[in-house]
Amino acid sequence: MLRKKRCVAMLLAGGQGTRLGILTSNMAKPAVPYGGKYRIIDFPLSNCSNSGIDTVGVLTQFRPLELNAYIASGAPWDLDVSFGGVYVLPPYQTGKTGEWYSGTANAIYQNLAFIAQYDPDYVLILSGDHIYKMDYAAMVQHHEDTNADVTIAVRQVPWEEASRFGIMNTDAEGNIVEFEEKPKNPKSNNASMGVYVFTWEKLRKYLIEDEANPESSNDFGKNIIPTMLADGQHMVAYSFNDYWKDVGTIESLWEANMDLLAEKPEIDLHDKNNRIYARNMGMIPQYIAPDAKVDNCLITEGCEVYGDATHSILSSGSVVEKGAKVIDSVIFPGARIKSGAVVRRAIVAENAVICGGAAVGEDTGDIAVVGNGVTVPEGTVIKAGEQFA
Amino acid sequence: MRKDVMGLIYTGERDQQLRELTQERAVAAVPLCGRYRMIDFPLSAMTGSGIRNIGVITQRNYQSLMDHLGSGKEWDLHSKRSGLHILPPFMTSDNIGMYSGFLDALRSNTDFLKRSKEKYIVVTDTHMLFSARFDEMVDAHVKSGADITLLYTADATLRAQGPGRFIQVEEDLTVSAIEVDPTLPRLPHQYLESFCIEREKLIDLVDSSVSRGQYHLTRDLLMSGINNKTLKVNAYEYQGKVWHLDSVQAYFNCSMDLLDPQKRASLFPQDRPVWTKVRDEMPSRYTPDAKVENSLIADGCIIEGTVENCILFRGVHIAKGAVVRDCIIMQDGKVHEGAELQNCILDKQTTIREHTRLIGPRTYPIVIAKNQTV
Repeated sequence: MLRKKRCVAMLLAGGQGTRLGILTSNMAKPAVPYGGKYRIIDFPLSNCSNSGIDTVGVLTQFRPLELNAYIASGAPWDLDVSFGGVYVLPPYQTGKTGEWYSGTANAIYQNLAFIAQYDPDYVLILSGDHIYKMDYAAMVQHHEDTNADVTIAVRQVPWEEASRFGIMNTDAEGNIVEFEEKPKNPKSNNASMGVYVFTWEKLRKYLIEDEANPESSNDFGKNIIPTMLADGQHMVAYSFNDYWKDVGTIESLWEANMDLLAEKPEIDLHDKNNRIYARNMGMIPQYIAPDAKVDNCLITEGCEVYGDATHSILSSGSVVEKGAKVIDSVIFPGARIKSGAVVRRAIVAENAVICGGAAVGEDTGDIAVVGNGVTVPEGTVIKAGEQFA
Repeated sequence: MRKDVMGLIYTGERDQQLRELTQERAVAAVPLCGRYRMIDFPLSAMTGSGIRNIGVITQRNYQSLMDHLGSGKEWDLHSKRSGLHILPPFMTSDNIGMYSGFLDALRSNTDFLKRSKEKYIVVTDTHMLFSARFDEMVDAHVKSGADITLLYTADATLRAQGPGRFIQVEEDLTVSAIEVDPTLPRLPHQYLESFCIEREKLIDLVDSSVSRGQYHLTRDLLMSGINNKTLKVNAYEYQGKVWHLDSVQAYFNCSMDLLDPQKRASLFPQDRPVWTKVRDEMPSRYTPDAKVENSLIADGCIIEGTVENCILFRGVHIAKGAVVRDCIIMQDGKVHEGAELQNCILDKQTTIREHTRLIGPRTYPIVIAKNQTV
C-alpha cells in the first residue's frame, strides 16, 4: 500500500443551516435526511467513494453528534480503509489557544496537518449541502491534464439567477480570467459549485498567507480564489451540467425530494455502477396494507402504509395509519401520521407524530414543517409555511 | 445478555426438499421475506442474544452462503476478539464433502470447538424459522443443571406438515422420550433442532459417539441418552410462531403468513433487528399506475402494475398492466407488460415476458428457477 494519496477530499460541512429552520435545530445540515433513505452527506461521500477517493476529512462545528454517529467508521461508503478513511474534524484546542472555524479557508487551514499526513498531490474541496452525482476523478484528471493550480467546477445557471452565485468568466480555453462574487450584472452564467481541486503545495501556500492577513475573512470565495487570480495562478473552469441541487432551504429541500418523483428523474439513483450509499438501518421491507392507496411515491424499508400516500416520499420506518392522508410531502424517518391526520405540502421531521384530526400544510403556498420528535396534538392546524416545533 | 456463549449453525442437510429453490444453494441461503436469507434469522438471533463467536458449518453448495455472509460485517462479527467462522468440509480420505451426520460434522470441526473459549455453546439448524432468545435458553440450562437443553414448541400446527423430531416434556422440564421422523407422531412437543450445552461436554460427547460409529445427534446420541437415562436432557419452550421450511409449499405458506403484521412481528422483534447483506438499493418507486395491496416490498423495486398479496425482493420491476397476485418474486425479477401471475415463486433474476399467463394452484405453486425467461 502506497503511503501517499493522489487526492484527499475535505468536505465543508460546517454550515449551521439556519435557512433550514427547525430541521437543523438539533443536527448539522449534512445530516438532514433526503430521498427516503439517504442523508445529504451520503452524496458527497458516495461520490468520493465512487471516484476512488478514500480519504475524506469532514469539517464541522455545529452539533456534530448526529453527523459523527452517522459517519462512524465510514464502512457504508467503503471508507473504512487502513490508510485513509473518513474523519470528522471539529475545531480543537492547541495548547493555550484554540478557536472556532472562522471561515471556509480557516477550517482547512486548521487541518493542514491532517492533509499533510497523506502527502497528497491534490486536495478536493467540497461542500455538504448539494444533491448531485459527480465523478471527482474526472475533474482531478482534468486538473492534472491542464496543469492547473486550481480547478473550479462550474455549471450554467439561468441568467436571472446568476447574480446569486460566484460567477467565473473564462477565456476560450476554459481558463478563468475573472471572478465575481454575486455580481449585479453578470458577464456569464458559469456559476461556481463550490467544488475545487487544488494542487496541494499551492493550497498550503495560499492558506498560510491568508491566515497571516488580518484583513481577510478566511473564505475561499471571498479571499483565496480572488488572491490566486490576482497573482496570475493558473485557474481552470471544469464544466458540470448534470443534476445539481442546492438543498439549503426548506423550499429547495422539498423540491429536490419531489424531483425524485418525476417520470424520469434527472438524478438516477438506480444506477448499479454509481450507487449512493447510506447507513443501513436493518429494517424489514415496507408493508403496503390491504386498503392502502399508494400513488406516485417513493417508499423505503421499515415503512408501513395503511392509509393514503400520494406524490410523497416516505423515509425509513415511517408509518401512515389507516385513514391518514399524505399528499405532496416528505416524511422523515420514524415519523407517524396517525389515523385521521392530513399532511399536505409539508416536511415532517424525524420521529414526529401527527395525531388524528390534525391538518399540516395546505394545497398551495409555502412548505409547512413539523420539527424533530414533535407531537402535533389532535385537531391542530398548521398553515402553509408555518414551522411547528 | 450472556458473554460466555458461542454459537454454531449447521447448514446443508436435507437441502433437496425445496426443489428448484435449493438446486444451487443450501436451505440456509434461500431468500426469504423480501431481503433476507434463511441464515439471517438464526445468525441475528444469536448476535441479538449477545453471542459473538459463531461458526457456520457448510456442506455442498455453500458458495452463495459464503458470498452472503462475507466477513460477517453486517452482523458486527468482523472484530478481533470475536467473529464469524465459516467451516467448509475438509476433503480428506474419510470425508467426501458431505457429512454422515451432525456428529460427524462436529468431529471435523473439533479444532474450532477446542480453540473457542466460551463455556456454553448454542447449536441450531436452519430449516426452522423463529426468533429465539438464546441467552434466556442458556440461563434456563445453567439453572437446571441439565447436560443438554433442547428448544421446543408446543404448537401442534407444525406437526400436520410432516416429519419432524418430537419429544415428551415433563412438568419438571425434563425430556422423557424422543422420536425421529415418525409416520404418526405420538409425542406432544416438537424439537426445534436447536440446543445448548457446555462446550467441553459437547466435545466429549462427539469424541465418544464418533468412536462408536454414531453420527446422528438425535437418532444416536439424544435417543440413547434419553432412553438409557445416561444424559439429563431438559427442554426450553419457544413461545413464538415457528415455521418449518421443508417443502416448497411450506416456503410459500410461510411467505404468505409473513404478510400478516402479527405473525411478522413474532419473527422481527422491535429491539433485535434481523441483519442481512446490504445492497444499497434506492427506495422503491410506485408510479401513478401502481395498485398495491397487502404486500411486502423491498427497496429498489419499480412498480407500475398491480400487486396483491405478494413479496417482492430487491430490484423487482412490475411493468404497466402486469398483474401479480399471491406471488413471491425474488431479487431483480422482471415482469413485463400485461403478464399475469398467480401462486408463483420466481427465483432470482427471472424474466416474465409480455402477456405471459402463469396461474399455479394454491397447493402446488409454480417455481421458476434462477435466471430463467418465461
